[in-house]
Amino acid sequence: MKQRATKRTLNQYSYWQYTVLIVTLFIMLLSALPSWFGESPAMQINHNKVEQTHPYLVLDPLAMQRQLVEQGVHVKQIKQDNENTWVVLEDASQLPLARQVLTESAALPDQDLPITLASVANAPQWLSALGFKPIALGLDLRGGVQFLLDVDMAPVYQGQTDQVRKEINTWLREHKIRGAQFSAMSADGFSIYLADSGQRSELTQHLKRQYPNWQVSLTGERLKVERQAAEHLALRNLTVQQNLQIMRSRIEELGITEASVQRQGEHRIRIELPGVQDPAQAKNVIGATASLAFYQVLADQALAGKTLLDEQGRPVRVAQAPVLTGEHIVDARASLGEMGMPEVNITLDQQGGRMMAEFSRQNIGKPMATAYSEYSRNAKGEVTQSHKIISVATIQSGLGAKFRITGTGSMQDAQSLALLLRAGSLTAPVTIVEERTIGPTLGAENISNGFAALTLGLGMTLVFMALWYRRLGWIANVALLANMVMLFGLLALIPGAVLTLPGIAGLVLTVGMAVDTNVLIFERIRDKLKQGNSMARAIDSGFSSATSTIFDANFTTMITAIVLYSIGNGPIQGFALTLGLGLLTSMFTGIFASRAMINWFWGNDARRSVRI
Amino acid sequence: MTQVLDRLFTRLLNKHNASQWRYGSSVISILLVCISLFFIATKGFNWGLDFTGGVVSEIQLSQPISSSEISPLLEAGLGQKVSVVASDEPGRWVIRYAVPEDMNASAASIETLLAPLSGEVQVLNTSIVGPQVGQELAEQGGLALLVSMMCIMVYLSIRFEWRLALGSLVALVHDVVFVLGFFALSQMEFNLTVLAAVLAILGYSLNDSIIIADRIRELLRLQPDSALADVNNQAIKATFTRTMITSGTTLMTVSALWLLGGAPLAGFAIAMFIGILAGTWSSISVGTSLPEVLGLRAEHYQEVALPDSP
Repeated sequence: MKQRATKRTLNQYSYWQYTVLIVTLFIMLLSALPSWFGESPAMQINHNKVEQTHPYLVLDPLAMQRQLVEQGVHVKQIKQDNENTWVVLEDASQLPLARQVLTESAALPDQDLPITLASVANAPQWLSALGFKPIALGLDLRGGVQFLLDVDMAPVYQGQTDQVRKEINTWLREHKIRGAQFSAMSADGFSIYLADSGQRSELTQHLKRQYPNWQVSLTGERLKVERQAAEHLALRNLTVQQNLQIMRSRIEELGITEASVQRQGEHRIRIELPGVQDPAQAKNVIGATASLAFYQVLADQALAGKTLLDEQGRPVRVAQAPVLTGEHIVDARASLGEMGMPEVNITLDQQGGRMMAEFSRQNIGKPMATAYSEYSRNAKGEVTQSHKIISVATIQSGLGAKFRITGTGSMQDAQSLALLLRAGSLTAPVTIVEERTIGPTLGAENISNGFAALTLGLGMTLVFMALWYRRLGWIANVALLANMVMLFGLLALIPGAVLTLPGIAGLVLTVGMAVDTNVLIFERIRDKLKQGNSMARAIDSGFSSATSTIFDANFTTMITAIVLYSIGNGPIQGFALTLGLGLLTSMFTGIFASRAMINWFWGNDARRSVRI
Repeated sequence: MTQVLDRLFTRLLNKHNASQWRYGSSVISILLVCISLFFIATKGFNWGLDFTGGVVSEIQLSQPISSSEISPLLEAGLGQKVSVVASDEPGRWVIRYAVPEDMNASAASIETLLAPLSGEVQVLNTSIVGPQVGQELAEQGGLALLVSMMCIMVYLSIRFEWRLALGSLVALVHDVVFVLGFFALSQMEFNLTVLAAVLAILGYSLNDSIIIADRIRELLRLQPDSALADVNNQAIKATFTRTMITSGTTLMTVSALWLLGGAPLAGFAIAMFIGILAGTWSSISVGTSLPEVLGLRAEHYQEVALPDSP
């Protein structure tokens, strides 16, 4: 379309094309600006949370400032609005000290102040108000701790298989079928040898009815019972999801606003904790173990028992000893019940089923509470324990090994309850397989090194282009600077885009390669001029003949950028991102923006034998 | 300015000796690839932490202390052999050792182990990579290399006649092997960032080859009766200024990275630098000479003329 337009009137861009160009560049400039101002480390103190733990504490900004400065903390700013107080510091390494000072000054020194670590943009208010944010920096640039956890699925598969095997064995005994021989195949299945064909088909019927997620096949006198591939996948997803949920809630306690917990690949979890300098505390929190128990709820607070709090902080009086502990739970899944109400289906193992049957028969119509406990180590290495009632439900009828809990609220609530219930028993062992700590000084050093290299590279390229191509060189230089602005603007705009140290290397490479687009075009224009064309004609055919070559040449780099992005890990993805985006922006500025400028200056230049 | 380069080019390479230049440099290229392969085979790579797994810590000491004072303290505390190497900057040390048995437990920190030393000890960064993860990263890296190569091959075979495509591909393999050979010879650490550089080289090395191949195709269509060697020389001459300028600016920025980027990017910058040099060299030598050997002729482009001729 563009080409057709240029053929009608040579070298003329319409007003809308200039408008698109200028508006795009302007928005990108606005988007890139906050990154120029950067971010400062800060502590966020939520007033509502403070009220809960320190009811009489008054957060006076002036007093806080004085206390902090006395201890040698460089405070940049303390802001207060209706909900939060923000303490903005100069230096991230002083965060632990500042936190300590504020906690000690609070009225209750033994209880931590609810402080979360955050960062605050330095850009003027109006930029933030427009929704423009600084570029998100990777951990290698801002400092922090990163863990990669491996969720070991083998015990989960084995556990479920063993459970099914045990259940079938019980069923056989109950139906007086003898002579069945079990033999293990793998974690995903087993086989049963049964000589009598009548009994065999009876068993097959039972299996098909009772275990829809399992594949039953007959070879000779042997029944093969295997987990279906879809179930294999579902079980893995559920287990990883459950661990993600647990990790998220545990990380929340660390009080880091920008912490991220994400699934990586099939059975890995990546945890990034920006600003954290000591991995030990985070490790304790991550490594906490959870357990679950069902309790009889006591009607009277005076009865002998213990009091636990529920999620809203209300006390619930329960019996001293639990009816059943979570290790008996084999499975728990949320679903929609007969009436369309969300419910949680729980499967207990044999022993648990017997215990539950006995208890529920005697307590029909009475409430039963489910409690979630977590054991973790605190900063001093002591084991601490926390209990929480997650649901109270009324027993409607005698329960067996399989029962359901209704009245759990929305489907989402049912799902999270199911996750928590599964956490009691099915939890796959989680191990830390990678741990990286980057100190804040090193992060800052990486940024300054990277940008020093970028500045030098950019400076040399600009000088070279100006000297070599003179007037056209200035066009290329403006295009190159516009390219950088767009690249930074895009990095800040694209959600999830993170700038890493290899990402800065990608920026530097882009500077060197971006001029290629202009060089290709200029060389073509030069050729056409040599052939005796007028300047205007040379510009037109120069651009059109170079464009396909430019696409060709950039395409292969784009392939590697995409492959790198899809296969690589964090820092490498940062490189692939700047590399790929750099190609796109350099084509935009190199072809579109520089054409606009050249049209403006030389569009109607009919001179021949111009030297450029 | 441009005229200077042109004159230089014509003086060095005139119509008669340009082909000799190309053939000569192709022979050099083949020799260099053989030497590189020899080093890769005999010396292997100094794999970085990303691939081997292990623990690497960087520390800053406020007092000048020698490695003979640091090592015994750490080896006693960690119960294993520890490598202590001085970093580029004064007072900085890189400590490397094997992953402890249980990664979930917090091992004794380096700060406490080095407490007996005089002065302050600051741990700048620590990376612990489990052996399993290292293995996976190595596999993923290999996979990335393979997938990129495959995609590029598919693209080239669609875009160009197979003889030209093969020329570009051989030039590409030449560049990668040469960079790998350098890393084997120098025993510089081969880590994930270097691998990223090698993959970027895949893309960039093709730039030059593709631009020259584009010209060859264009010229073959315009002058079907010319000898291929002449067409190749013409194509190289026509693109020579561009090749020099782009390689030049890229080399400049990569050197800036090498100079100022600091230790973490040094391997990357060096790999890119060598890769771009090799890429420029090979696109002129092997990339154009191989199609001649394979018998590329003008009619190959007349038959498969694409509708979107540039």
